[in-house]
Amino acid sequence: MAQVLSTTFQTELSANIVLFCRFLRSKGFSLAALDEAEALRAISFLPVHSESYFKDALRAVLTKNKFQQIHFDTYYQAFKEEQKKGPNAKIKSIPDEKEQFPKKRKDAQFEALKDWLNLNPSKEKKEVASFSDIEVLTKKNFHDLSEDEMRLMLRMLQKMARKLAHQKSRLQKVSRRHRHLSLKRTIRANLRKGGEIQQLVFSEKKERKLKLVLLCDVSRSMDLYSRFFIHLIYAFQNAYDKIETFVFSTALHQVSELLNTNEFDKAFALISERVPHWSGGTTIGSCLHEFTNDYGHGMLDKKTIVLILSDGWDTGKPEVMKAAMKGMYKKTKKVIWLNPLAGSPDFSPEAIGMKTALPYIDVLASAHNFESLKQLLQQLGKKRNLGKLPNR
Amino acid sequence: MKNEQLSQIKKMLQKQGYIDDGAIAMSLFLAMKLEKPLLVEGPAGVGKTEIAKVMSKALETDLIRLQCYEGLDSTHALYEWNYQHQLLYLKMQEGKSQKITALEETIFSDKFLLKRPVLEAITHAEKAVLLIDEIDRADEEFESFLLEVLSDWQVTIPEIGTIKATSKPQIILTGNRTRELSEALRRRCLYLWIDYPSFEKELAIVKAQVPEIDAELGVQICAFMRELRELKLEKTPGVSETIDWARALASMHLTHLDTQVVEATLGVVLKDWQDMRHTQDSLSQLLEKTGVASRIG
Repeated sequence: MAQVLSTTFQTELSANIVLFCRFLRSKGFSLAALDEAEALRAISFLPVHSESYFKDALRAVLTKNKFQQIHFDTYYQAFKEEQKKGPNAKIKSIPDEKEQFPKKRKDAQFEALKDWLNLNPSKEKKEVASFSDIEVLTKKNFHDLSEDEMRLMLRMLQKMARKLAHQKSRLQKVSRRHRHLSLKRTIRANLRKGGEIQQLVFSEKKERKLKLVLLCDVSRSMDLYSRFFIHLIYAFQNAYDKIETFVFSTALHQVSELLNTNEFDKAFALISERVPHWSGGTTIGSCLHEFTNDYGHGMLDKKTIVLILSDGWDTGKPEVMKAAMKGMYKKTKKVIWLNPLAGSPDFSPEAIGMKTALPYIDVLASAHNFESLKQLLQQLGKKRNLGKLPNR
Repeated sequence: MKNEQLSQIKKMLQKQGYIDDGAIAMSLFLAMKLEKPLLVEGPAGVGKTEIAKVMSKALETDLIRLQCYEGLDSTHALYEWNYQHQLLYLKMQEGKSQKITALEETIFSDKFLLKRPVLEAITHAEKAVLLIDEIDRADEEFESFLLEVLSDWQVTIPEIGTIKATSKPQIILTGNRTRELSEALRRRCLYLWIDYPSFEKELAIVKAQVPEIDAELGVQICAFMRELRELKLEKTPGVSETIDWARALASMHLTHLDTQVVEATLGVVLKDWQDMRHTQDSLSQLLEKTGVASRIG
């Protein structure tokens, strides 16, 4: 690398930098053309032609967060090795391990997932389709609902989700609605006009939009409730501006984009095609860990609510689960766990996964019928109970 | 200081007692050369704020500091009109027959402008260092509001117009990652992540900051801190705690650590009740490990 720094090799160097940027982009770095230019400029300032300086400089310019900074060296090394293998080889030929892994298993698991995602399960058809009003709806268990009732329910749900997505912040902004007079702003505005009150300024509270991360367990043990939960996710997906949705069983998959860009039915057909199915049990812990590690740095903050939909039957190690939950709890505004089993009267969090996670959950709810769901949605807006400290 | 070289920056850092591992010096060097703001993130107490202080000392200019907090708005960060002053001035002018436009021009002039840190930094006569501390504590709105300053080095005041920087200040932003910063802000900055230092680095820091310390005690303190950070604590102690502790122990003219001393002075290092209890329980074990570690190190 030392020789290429000299000016005679300038063209090759810039080509290499561009290639390297392209390589980094494929690893999830968001780099603009400007960054490439900055990198080249930065290198031109370097005093001594040494590789460690070169690497340090590139790291300083091209990385934009902690995750990238920590992994930069590995990528740098990988890129160099790739260059060594074939100087003319194109970057595109580098196999991306992450992407290949799910593809292999896709076909075999496809059918099973389609079963799970089936939106017209036969048992619903047995129900007599009749109009039922909301009062009746509220106490019915979800898997007893007919298709029409479900639709009505979802409409209500959507409405509520939308309402909750917009909360009032403490910050004030100027308002056109003549409700609350802002004394401070009025005086300030009128001082400019010589101290006489000519103009009134009103204020209202700013809206604070919450962010939501949904993590949905799609393992076999959740089959019974899955249909409803998918509807729920969809309702949320359209109500909140910033929402990320993941499904997991043994591995984690981001599906937000699919849900955002497609119609309901189409979206789920697409998900079932793309998401590889689970095998055997669920490894909630490792999936959550994967989430906090790979996505947490960009998605979790104090305005974010994490909603986990799972029954807590974890086949992985409890320590992994604990670490993941703790990390998540610390970084977010609230962690809510929806466990459909919690709806039955003799429920206690027996599953080991559930037990481990319990100290780091703000709300554990069942959401097995509409009433419990309503309570839950109200919870979304409230503040975290600070008196409760998580045990070690 | 137009022609700083990397080696000079390293020397400057050294002179100020700031131990760096290459990455920090490189980031500072490039931040100056590319005239870009530097965003520094890392756990509490690893010397993020210190970078700005050292830099201002090294460049021999003023350090202008803006401490961020929730609800911080432009009147506190940028500028504010001095209303009382303006009013008084108007009262004083009442008797005199002065043209309205002229009067207006006077009261909306620099004289009545209260410069807040950001404006102060860009109108500073010579290159200043502007430290925007704990940017993640401020609201997202404030962040977007900073963008104009960060990329164009200018501030727009409706009554006066756009004020361009007379000298581009060296901006350093720090954050604890309590909140994820926006992409727009990141894009405009160079990024630097500072982690807890390695044993060797921490020892070098202690020696530089507390030169009077007994050599063996220094080794023991750093080894102890390294083990302490391995424990899963609520608030992992940073380098500043190490330095405080080293100073405290050095002032007592101690030469080595023992259970009694550690127990008595643990409050210097740990600031959380649960952490204290947790550490006290495993103190003998910790010290044993430390003893081994210090012998090897």
